[in-house]
Amino acid sequence: MAEEQPGGSPRADGDGRGDEFEFHTGTIRPSREPDAIEFIEVHKSFGRNHVLRGLNMALPENSISMIIGPSGTGKSVCIKHIVGLLYPDEGDVIVHGKSIPSLSDAELFEARKKFGVLFQDGALFGSLTLWDNIAFPLRQHTEKSEEEIAEIVNRRMREVGLGGEGAKMPNELSGGMRKRAGFARSLVLDPEIVLFDEPDSGLDPVRTALLCELIKEVHAENGGCYVVITHDILSARRVGQHISVLWKGRIVESGPADELFESENPFVRQFLSGASAGPLGME
Amino acid sequence: MVRTAAERAFIPARHVLEEFGDMMILTARTIWSALRPPYPYGGELVSQFLFALRLCWFPLLVSTVCLCYAAPGLQAANFLTLFGALDRLGGFFVLGAIREIGPNVTAIVLAGVAGTAITADLGARKIREELDALQVLGVDPVKNLVVPRFLALMVVTGLFDIYALLFGIFGGILAELVNGQPLGPFWATLFANASTTDLWGSVLKTTIYGAIIAIVCCYKGMSASGGAEGVGRAVNEAVVLAFTAIFAFDYVFTQTLLATHPAILVIK
Ligand SMILES: Nc1ncnc2c1ncn2[C@@H]1O[C@H](COP(=O)(O)OP(=O)(O)OP(=O)(O)O)[C@@H](O)[C@H]1O
Ligand SMILES: [Mg+2]
Repeated sequence: MAEEQPGGSPRADGDGRGDEFEFHTGTIRPSREPDAIEFIEVHKSFGRNHVLRGLNMALPENSISMIIGPSGTGKSVCIKHIVGLLYPDEGDVIVHGKSIPSLSDAELFEARKKFGVLFQDGALFGSLTLWDNIAFPLRQHTEKSEEEIAEIVNRRMREVGLGGEGAKMPNELSGGMRKRAGFARSLVLDPEIVLFDEPDSGLDPVRTALLCELIKEVHAENGGCYVVITHDILSARRVGQHISVLWKGRIVESGPADELFESENPFVRQFLSGASAGPLGME
Repeated sequence: MVRTAAERAFIPARHVLEEFGDMMILTARTIWSALRPPYPYGGELVSQFLFALRLCWFPLLVSTVCLCYAAPGLQAANFLTLFGALDRLGGFFVLGAIREIGPNVTAIVLAGVAGTAITADLGARKIREELDALQVLGVDPVKNLVVPRFLALMVVTGLFDIYALLFGIFGGILAELVNGQPLGPFWATLFANASTTDLWGSVLKTTIYGAIIAIVCCYKGMSASGGAEGVGRAVNEAVVLAFTAIFAFDYVFTQTLLATHPAILVIK
């Protein structure tokens, strides 16, 4: 999607509120990189809850993309579509040119090896120690010896400030520590596509800043498509190279970070400045 | 008005049918993944087996002895005393304890003790997104979590049936002794009526009960949603559904067994 695109699809949602998408210009400002992940007209409902409503989103290769948007708009649902845990009701999700919903189980298994995912709540395995949790992907997917595994795991744990906590069980950790452990686990395989669901929530400001630095460092080292969901505009400013603003299951606007921070769109302006006055209320 | 009433009846009915279909699919996938290599579930199978054994042996012992002593033991003994036919209690035990009470008490205890533990465990993992994380890391939850629980519960329930039969008969002996009867006639009528069909029928039935409990409880756990409260709801639904399914299956199985093996209908 290299050219400027007009607004979202004219598809009627049947809920009669015509101006619901008045701020959704759907402008996709061209980025300098090819797309690693594309959502094409994706619709997804849970019962009566129509979460994704014709989502068109492109996340570029070799950059750190931020997905930001109000709580409950379907950001986590997006991540689950990318890794094939949820299937779209309509539309397609394309990762590196392959349509994820149409992969067979075996192909999906292969495709998932290139993902590193940090789930919103860390998703550590409760029956394993912290150390075994972080070593799990290496044991599962590689033939590395225990010494090599130990070296990688110890390095990642030190990076996220959990060195020496390896013997603890996940339920003995604080929420922020679980988050950091999940973060370390998502990176041990040096994946090509990394999906972080709110890596910075539940962390103190200093740790958040350090984590942002770490994301940039790891990305500079490995490259690839990094997708970060966040509510923290400061983090978005610090690490974001590409930003997609999601609201009501569609893109309001997306593009390179510097351009988006200059956007004229009232919703984008409100959201990126965290102002209480603007199109978004508590509803 | 009519439409909403119809919808109100229709939506839960459709939900029940969908759930039944999903469980059938889960059963098929479980059997298929159990048979197809690789077999990574050995360790989990042993630990689930020991877990069920540890949790259930005592509740089951108490339940079978007490129930068999009270229901066919004391009650039937009272009735048989009327005819001066207390020696027939052994024969009645074949019908009551071996064919019905043993298997059903085993199933109730296993569903209530081990089944709920499975639902709560898998439900908590679902809520914490552990199951999602496993899948993304290339671990199939059906093969690695459902299959070992399915096999372990089948084996444990089948074995526990024999254990329940032994303690059930012990309850009968207690009833005889309380009534001041010699045990000879009890054994005589017991063995006159018991056939190998009774024994294998009983074990086969409970083994299938184990499969039903495992599928229902795993399914409910893995489809839990809505936080900690959702796990509680899943456990509750799992127990209700498992009991219903067990008793429904009991009817079908008993009917089929009696029809195909008419010899066991004859009471000696
Ligand atoms: N498995 C599911 N079943 C039913 N509804 C779901 C499921 N997953 C998400 N939803 C619904 O989809 C909507 C979007 O959820 P999602 O978790 O993607 O929000 P989010 O944008 O990540 O919000 P937050 O920033 O608070 O994490 C919510 O209304 C939620 O209730
Ligand atoms: Mg979320």
